[in-house]
Amino acid sequence: MAETTGPLQPTQDGTDAVPAAKGVGTRTDRTKAIFLGPAAIWVLAFTIFPLLYAGPRKMASFRYGKINQFVGLGNFARLFRDSNLHTALRVTLVFVVSTVALEMILGFALALLLNREIRGKNTLRAIMTLPLFATPVAMGYLGITMYYEQNGPINSLIRALGGDIVPWLSNPFWALVAVIIVDLWQWTPFVFLVSIAALQGLPLDLYEAAQVDGASGFDLFRYVTLPLMLPTLWLILLLRLVEAFKVFDVPISLTLGGPGRATEVYSLFTYRTALRFFNHGYAAAQGFLLLFIVMLMVSLLFGRIREIYE
Amino acid sequence: MRRKTVFALVFLMIASLLIAACGGAQPQPTEKPAKPTEPQPTEEPKVEPTAVAEEGQAAKEVEAGELLPPIVAEPCAPDCPFEGQTVSVIVNTAGAKGPISGPFYEVRDEFEAATGATLEIVEVPFAEHFPKLMTDMTTETGQYDTSIAGAWWLGELVGGDFVMPYDEYYDDPSFPQWDIENVLPGPRDLLTWGGKKYMVANDQDGQVMYYRRDLLADPEHQAAFKDEYGYDLDVPQTWAQFRDVAEYFNGKDLNGDGKADSGLTLHLKVGGQGMFHFMSFSAPFVIGPENSKLYWFDPETMEPLLDSPGHVRALETLVDLTQFGPEAMMAWSLGESWDHFLRGEAALTFTWGDLGALAQQEGSQVLGKTGAAPIPGTTEYYNLQTGEWVKTEEPNMVGNTTGGSWAGVISKFSDAPEATYYLLALMATEEKSLIYAARGWDGVDPGRYSHFLEPQGTAGIDEYLAAGWDEADIRDYTSAYYENFNAEEQFPYLRIPGTFEYWTQLDIHLSEAATGQATPEEALKATVVDFEEVTNRLGREEQLQSYKESLGFE
Repeated sequence: MAETTGPLQPTQDGTDAVPAAKGVGTRTDRTKAIFLGPAAIWVLAFTIFPLLYAGPRKMASFRYGKINQFVGLGNFARLFRDSNLHTALRVTLVFVVSTVALEMILGFALALLLNREIRGKNTLRAIMTLPLFATPVAMGYLGITMYYEQNGPINSLIRALGGDIVPWLSNPFWALVAVIIVDLWQWTPFVFLVSIAALQGLPLDLYEAAQVDGASGFDLFRYVTLPLMLPTLWLILLLRLVEAFKVFDVPISLTLGGPGRATEVYSLFTYRTALRFFNHGYAAAQGFLLLFIVMLMVSLLFGRIREIYE
Repeated sequence: MRRKTVFALVFLMIASLLIAACGGAQPQPTEKPAKPTEPQPTEEPKVEPTAVAEEGQAAKEVEAGELLPPIVAEPCAPDCPFEGQTVSVIVNTAGAKGPISGPFYEVRDEFEAATGATLEIVEVPFAEHFPKLMTDMTTETGQYDTSIAGAWWLGELVGGDFVMPYDEYYDDPSFPQWDIENVLPGPRDLLTWGGKKYMVANDQDGQVMYYRRDLLADPEHQAAFKDEYGYDLDVPQTWAQFRDVAEYFNGKDLNGDGKADSGLTLHLKVGGQGMFHFMSFSAPFVIGPENSKLYWFDPETMEPLLDSPGHVRALETLVDLTQFGPEAMMAWSLGESWDHFLRGEAALTFTWGDLGALAQQEGSQVLGKTGAAPIPGTTEYYNLQTGEWVKTEEPNMVGNTTGGSWAGVISKFSDAPEATYYLLALMATEEKSLIYAARGWDGVDPGRYSHFLEPQGTAGIDEYLAAGWDEADIRDYTSAYYENFNAEEQFPYLRIPGTFEYWTQLDIHLSEAATGQATPEEALKATVVDFEEVTNRLGREEQLQSYKESLGFE
């Protein structure tokens, strides 16, 4: 808080300088502090402190929920040889790639569909966004009912249509599909919502000019809509990727990571390590690994975006 | 166009309602529900025990709360011993009429009148109970005076010096009196550690086999079974016989609804306590007269023993058995599996005492048809000490105490330890305990001599009949549990630090084997690798010491 404003005025002995208009400078400082303080406190409390707090813990082993001994980089070394963690990473990657890709395509397609003059579009838009407001855990538990294999609604419908029942939760492949579908159900509306907001902000004169030049519907999409939407789509992609890497609620409520480890995503694995096994040191190391992965991904994406637009 | 839109919206709403309605009928399992949660009926006045029902007489269906335990503590006013103190108990969420938590609501007025203390009941979901308790204890907060804890937590709680022994209070006549010797040997061992008493008897868990008595007694089934398998249809005594009976009934209509039903039902969802099935199931493949203790670890090196030929054969047999149940059970927790049996859709299962009690309640299709017997045995087991298979002339039966055996421990950080013990001892008195054990809804399973019918125990049948039991069902049930807890060989219960982690790894790998992601041998070898990781992290020497203490080797 030493920073002040205003020109420095010489003192009578000519040796030192003191800030002019000190009162004004102090008021400015106070104003700055008032505006920056909450943000600084937020960063200190929720970013810096946890990182510092986790520092020594990630280099310790625990027994009875307390630090037992210093293990140096042992917890980080374990990250590279823990096959269960590698399975969780693999499951997470499959989940992230599947959900984000499908959500981007579906959400954007639906936004394009409902960004035209059709009757009842406002109602349909409202219905489309409803899953976004549901609690993920509730959706997971609802999934247990929907996917119930013996006579749940989905399998009953499949059977009524002449198909064989699908082992939604008892088969490793289908269990992951079930988790992915619930995530699609919840998050496709997010992509839809942001996309449609952006679509409605696109300048109409460009479309009119392109149409005058004889552009077809596909040309309009390819050469006008898509380029104009790309910044938004990159942003959505970034947000969804970060969120998808942290997925937790649906797997824990729907499958508990099973069968076996078929749906044990990274956050669930870390949660078990920390709050079920009280191995806080190893859990902290896992947290840092996830942080590194997400930061790397974000950096690469930002790099790519910068390449495109600079 | 507008009509079409309206029609589409109405159709969507109706479809949503239909889907919700269909879904609403399905059971709603929760993560690791230690005990089933019953409906919440209103409290009724106490019903005095009725006359003994005749054999086969339909038992009265009883609502939760209808049969109340007697008041045994006198009011203390005006000179109350614990005036102004508060006892806070943390217990699995189940409500005022739910398993394990329900009796605390019932006893609250009596306890407060007898001591002057206040009883605060804190309910938390099963999955959060242990983490919350450990957080409270590791931070030495003392928010909870007592936890109704799972028996496998004791290694952590005693090892971490978080709970206190109650021997001193137990001998003090100013506290409600109960007799620890009244608890059968199997569950009694779980109450102590290193010769000191830590858990106050409450619930006694163990798994037994349930079978449809009506099906096994059916002459047509008996004749058909004998034709097919060459021996009489009877209550299975070995897992081989269990397999035959399951295979025979699988695909037949067992409840008259015209649909094919299952030979057996299990719950094998990860996190659904399926590992307990494997423990009870595999015990007679490994434990026997020449090896009564070795199952989990080598007591010299702490190396896991779970990939032994005995364990592998047990898992192979268990995986083989799953073909006689619905595929969906791979994703079932307790609730769904029990529901399957209670609907009359399975001939066999093996699980906790709750199922026998639930079979007596409203909605059960198997009231008066539910037989119970000890878990089947084997005719051959793998002696881990000699590394050889040992044949037995009689079925090798091994009792078990698998499960939570939920019972109270006193926090070392409690500021009201005496009042806390008073509460737990009050609920452990013989008079109350008998009613708790007789009712189904409160989740307290029998395990004391005073719970078992004469001549095995001292209980009369009246309390059970008053609680709605069918006479044949209760005779089978108590007899099965008596034999289970009194079996000469008992499955060695694991309760060392890290038990939950060891069991979680076992649970996950069992699921991998059951769903074909790994062979039984691969799954158990992977379990051993994970066990070693846990042991190394927690400290091999400390774990070894704790393991020996828990088994009474030292």
